Amino acid sequence: MLLAQQGAATVSTGEAVSFWVLGPLALAGALGMIFARNAVHSALFLVMTMLSLGCIYMVQQAPFLGFVQIIVYTGAIMMLFLFVLMLVGRDASDSVVEVLRGQRLWAGVLGVGLAVLITGAVARSLIDVTDQGLAADTANGGRGNVANIGQLIFSDYLFPFELTSALLITAAVGAMVLGYVNREQRGRRTQKELVEARFRGEHDRPSPLPGPGVFATANSVATPALLPDGSVAPESLSRLIESTTADKLAAERESVAGTGPAAGTRALAPGKEESR
Amino acid sequence: MTGTFNLALDTQPAAGAASAAWLLLVLPALGAAVLLIGGRRTNKWGHLLGSGMVIAAFAYAVVLFFDTTSLAAEDRLRDLHLFDWISVNQLSVDFGLRLDPLSITFVLLITGVGSLIHIYSIGYLNHELEDRRRFFAYLNLFIAAMLLLVLGNSFVTLYFGWEGVGLASYLLIGWYQGKDFAATAAKKAFLMNRVGDVGLALAIFLMFKTMGSTQYDVVFSQIGDQSTGTIVAIGLLLLLGACGKSGQFPLQAWLPDAMAGPTPVSALIHAATMVTAGVYLIARSSPLYSLPQAEDARLVVMIIGAITLLLGCVIGCAYDDFKKVLAYSTVSQIGYMILAVGLGPAGYAFGILHLLTHGFFKAGLFLGAGSVMHAMNDEGDIRRMGGLWKKMPVTFVTWTLGYLALIGFPFLSGYFSKDEIINAALGQGGTRGWVFGGIALLGAALTAFYMTRLLILVWLGKPRWENLTSPATPDPESPEAPVGKPYHPHESPSTMTIPMIILAFGSVAGGAILSAVLPEWLTPAIGEVEETHGALSHTMVGILTVVLAAIGAGLAFLLFGRRETAVERPKRVSFPVRAARADLFGNHLNEALFARPGTWLTRALVYVDNRGVDGLVNGIAAGLGGSSGRLRRTQTGFVRSYALSMLGGSILVIAALLMVRFA
Amino acid sequence: MSVMSSVLFLAQVQPVPSPAPAKIDPPALDAVWPILIVLAAACVGVLFEAFLPRHQRWPAQVALSLLALAGAGVALATYLSDAPEAGEMAMFNTLAVDRPALFLWGTLLALSVGAVLLIADRSVEPGGAFVATAAIRPGTVQDRAQVTATGMQTEVFPLTLFALGGMMIFCAANDLLTMFIALEVLSLPLYLMCGLARRRRLLSQEAAVKYFLLGAFASAFFLYGVALLYGYAGSVRLADISAAAAGTDRSDTLLFAGMGLLVVGLLFKASVGPFHTWTPDVYQGAPTPVTAFMAACTKVAAFGGILRVLQVAFESTQWEWRGVLWGVAIASMVIGAILGLTQTDVKRMIAYSSVAHAGFLLIGAIALTDRGLSGTLFYLLTYGFTTLAAFGVISLVRDSSGEATHLSQWAGLAKRSPLVAGVFTFLLLALAGIPLTSGFVGKFVVFEAAIDDGMAPLVVIALVASAVAAFFYLRVIVLMYFSEPAADGPTVTVPGAFTTAAITLGVLVTLLLGILPSFALDWAAGGAFAIR
Repeated sequence: MLLAQQGAATVSTGEAVSFWVLGPLALAGALGMIFARNAVHSALFLVMTMLSLGCIYMVQQAPFLGFVQIIVYTGAIMMLFLFVLMLVGRDASDSVVEVLRGQRLWAGVLGVGLAVLITGAVARSLIDVTDQGLAADTANGGRGNVANIGQLIFSDYLFPFELTSALLITAAVGAMVLGYVNREQRGRRTQKELVEARFRGEHDRPSPLPGPGVFATANSVATPALLPDGSVAPESLSRLIESTTADKLAAERESVAGTGPAAGTRALAPGKEESR
Repeated sequence: MTGTFNLALDTQPAAGAASAAWLLLVLPALGAAVLLIGGRRTNKWGHLLGSGMVIAAFAYAVVLFFDTTSLAAEDRLRDLHLFDWISVNQLSVDFGLRLDPLSITFVLLITGVGSLIHIYSIGYLNHELEDRRRFFAYLNLFIAAMLLLVLGNSFVTLYFGWEGVGLASYLLIGWYQGKDFAATAAKKAFLMNRVGDVGLALAIFLMFKTMGSTQYDVVFSQIGDQSTGTIVAIGLLLLLGACGKSGQFPLQAWLPDAMAGPTPVSALIHAATMVTAGVYLIARSSPLYSLPQAEDARLVVMIIGAITLLLGCVIGCAYDDFKKVLAYSTVSQIGYMILAVGLGPAGYAFGILHLLTHGFFKAGLFLGAGSVMHAMNDEGDIRRMGGLWKKMPVTFVTWTLGYLALIGFPFLSGYFSKDEIINAALGQGGTRGWVFGGIALLGAALTAFYMTRLLILVWLGKPRWENLTSPATPDPESPEAPVGKPYHPHESPSTMTIPMIILAFGSVAGGAILSAVLPEWLTPAIGEVEETHGALSHTMVGILTVVLAAIGAGLAFLLFGRRETAVERPKRVSFPVRAARADLFGNHLNEALFARPGTWLTRALVYVDNRGVDGLVNGIAAGLGGSSGRLRRTQTGFVRSYALSMLGGSILVIAALLMVRFA
Repeated sequence: MSVMSSVLFLAQVQPVPSPAPAKIDPPALDAVWPILIVLAAACVGVLFEAFLPRHQRWPAQVALSLLALAGAGVALATYLSDAPEAGEMAMFNTLAVDRPALFLWGTLLALSVGAVLLIADRSVEPGGAFVATAAIRPGTVQDRAQVTATGMQTEVFPLTLFALGGMMIFCAANDLLTMFIALEVLSLPLYLMCGLARRRRLLSQEAAVKYFLLGAFASAFFLYGVALLYGYAGSVRLADISAAAAGTDRSDTLLFAGMGLLVVGLLFKASVGPFHTWTPDVYQGAPTPVTAFMAACTKVAAFGGILRVLQVAFESTQWEWRGVLWGVAIASMVIGAILGLTQTDVKRMIAYSSVAHAGFLLIGAIALTDRGLSGTLFYLLTYGFTTLAAFGVISLVRDSSGEATHLSQWAGLAKRSPLVAGVFTFLLLALAGIPLTSGFVGKFVVFEAAIDDGMAPLVVIALVASAVAAFFYLRVIVLMYFSEPAADGPTVTVPGAFTTAAITLGVLVTLLLGILPSFALDWAAGGAFAIR
């Protein structure tokens, strides 16, 4: 007993070193998460914090907690975070202009206030406490941390442990409710249905629109396809990219369609006509 | 000071005819329920059903009365246990009725006057047939709640009825939906009543805390063992409740405004029954107020009564609105009653006596006023009336009888009751006796003054309405908009006149009969009347009262009877000038000696009433609204600002916890 | 997967091989059958979603939910007939099944019947108050198309049952860890259900997100508090915390800091001011049946938890913290009463009224006597039914764009539908605490207990606050009766059997408990919390 206390009361050099390395890292990660502008950076900072915490736990002789921290939080949850961020778009960010007067100031003041209060309370209560290592007999009955957690989960805390499954089911159902749309409700038709609809005349033309022309000089989608008579196929030009290229083709389209300027008294001065 | 206070605390279980006393509550409640749920289907016969229910209740009350008189005096306190309402652990409230002379007296008054006013309302509301059914539903609701108030055998049951009548009164004051002032008046009545209710609720909680019950018999048998502080506190809190409900100083301002409701409502609720609930409360709590330890509380009751009775008289002199004058008169007469019950065993019976006679004549006066307004396109400005006696003889005669009763004309009902109160007040002896007795005497003179003014302006003199038309807008504050209908005053239908005639009989004969039998009849409930011997003999007091009333009435004749009354209300600055020009020789002295100081006093009081009390009420309402609006801005809709307020709250909670522990 | 069978699993859990030689006996289940039935039915409901064709889901889910509630009620009644007076511990001491817990369970089950009926209703709004497919973005072509679709997300039924199970566990949790998990189990389904309104979907989704974010914030407070308390007492069990607080000389800072944080998390759920800010927005945005469920059941569960924590864990330190909770109760009453005055939306008004009521309830909760406990329990019962019926009525007044909740649209309602106006008037009077309604009796017993415990000044403030609050209820009554209805005002839908049943239930209970409260008061006073 005496021995255990003596052993617990001293902190080994290795533990001290690792704490002074990991502690600032965790803190820096936490601050970085808050102040980083980029969401991905924020997430990565959080990963750093959690990794450091996991390591601290392991140094503190709580291997189970340490591994859970790394596997579940860093491994699973944070990676999901990153997936979502990437899906939403790396550049997507909310406006960071604060419209509420005094919000930031008060948030800062109160946040620091709460931190001071709780830190003060915790620090005050820790002044005259003897620390114990988790590996010692007094803490875990000599059976170690992992076995004890296992026993608690399957005995005293069996019910709350099982209850978390209700939470998981709810979460899964929630994801389905908020995320899943079946096809007919999404309003998208199959290819077969589309073809039938086309031939029934629901669309302007039965066949797909002609693709853009690909020439030796250009491979842009803005380049129009040419019809067999050498004229431009207007439908091959996307409506979305009605670019300057399309404008330039206007005269050609007119001439092919026969709506262009006919030969007449001013035929010798086409420039003026064009500038109309 | 306690006197020969003899109260039988042991109540007998009710049997025989009395065991069906719950019918009194069920009949009107059933009427209200049928009318409210039945909706439009009951339009045709709703008013008949409503009246029938109240008349049936009255019939039963008469049976109950005779049943009680057949018992020996000491057996007349009866308890009808209905069911255990709340009973858990040490907390026990059972729901029962207390049938004793006091409650039966009130039941007779409520159902009797209630029946008459139901009948009157059939005629009064014949212009608005669509809504008449709903009106009767509310009236029935009121009757049921009022009966619950007086019949309950515990303070909690009383509180039930108390809230119920408040609600019914609120609904009925706001009856004229289109008018803004009706809604405002209803709101004001509600708010000021709630102040009183808080007092009553606190008194009830305090009783629970100290005595573990609110049953009358338990409370009254244990109240003597409590500390003086508790007794005085309960007494004052009950008084606060009474002030709210009965329009006593400083909570009187809602009552005149409540005249925005239909006239039958004013007659029933705001003259005869509900506003007297405060008097009932104090009389019912007589075992508490009679204790020597409650001396201080009783003194406060008397002071409040005296202040209110003067205040009501003086302000009554100033108003030009028919019903508002009557309303201030009510305030002042209830002041008399509160003063009487504040006198202790010497005055309880006389307070109740005045309450009953007042119930008759004031209801009659209001019904008369309603009859006039009904005939005058709902006009309430007395300056636009005059000479109506030729057009409405029945109303005139009944009204005048009520008037005579109110001013204390010898051997009419008001004479007996007011006389007794003044005598009892003087009987206090010493300075106190002279102060309260003097105030009561002065009040009698002032009452005669303003009532005579009303009589002259409304009924006598030249008909000033002949060349006028009613204001186009129903706004009473601006009579200058002469595009309305011309006035065609006419006598009212018989459904309206018959109740007035009956009430007039009551006003004439009620006092003589009641003053002979009432004190003895009430003895089992509130104790024997304590004989008092003041500085003046009883006969002397009677003569003095009549003389003072005659002086007041004569003064009014001098001021208003002999000259033209302007239709427009005189502007404040020009009043003395115009008066002097009109009657240079006769009234100048009167003006200088009486009228002008009186006018100033009156104006000052009206000003205080309008600005001070109303201002306070409106100010509180505005303050609440304003702070609500300001607080509302914190509800920005942004999560981060909500989170911030939560964080702030948490820090306060945690810091407070740590500070309480370690400071 | 194990998630679905978790509850059924419990019955057959085997002793876990462990280094300790001690054999673990399977827990006795007779006390917790109500919970197990509700949770099992929720799991079956999820299976229904997976395997039943769309058109069969609604009838199957409604039948399942009602059956589960009935079954849980029967199980509760059976257990109650020979339950030990002092209560017993179940599930390895994680649940304390004592008289208050049983009363709260009964209340929750009864309220849930009403809530499920409102949720299941498809007559007031064709297809129900819930969106057909929540995943379709609001405002798109598909969204406009589904307004007229008759389906609904029938997942709300299992979600309701999960939330109910969480609430029942929350009231009975004997340690803070179980309490925290129960808190999450009850909250998560509610967050989801808030966002599933058929009409005004953006508002509804906004409400859900707000509730979720602030709820997570509050959960963090709760959890932090649990951690500090564990640091103080070396255990999360309420009885151990109580023993530690009563009998040690260790530094109290952890205890009070932990208690403060814990209480903040609890007060948030009970929407006590100043932690109420989510309430109006969420009540307004959520589908009305969900609002009814939240307002009634969450309040019951949260105050059940508050009562247990205060009476079991912190009773010995009450002189230190009572003053602080006095302040919170006053703040809540004042905020609720004053802010309610200027609301123009019926649902927001009822939300602020619930903040004021939370203040009244807190008064009962900090009167640490038997009468305080029974009074608060009774108040919860009355308030739950009144609010449930009130929201039921609100869902009936509609115009072309859904519910007409703006107060101006309620003007002259009595002329259009005297019955609905009458019922709503009665409910508002009950909320105001006018005699002959259950609200009066509830206030009466709570205030009486508070005075008895020496909190007279607080009761004075409460009476003034209830006087102010009564004003805004009466304003609605006046509006309904004394105003001319607008020409294009809303119509009152004739409700189908479900909504009618739910409203009738609420109104009848409100009336019954106003006239004959004795039997319910007796139940509420059945016994104190079991401390073990």
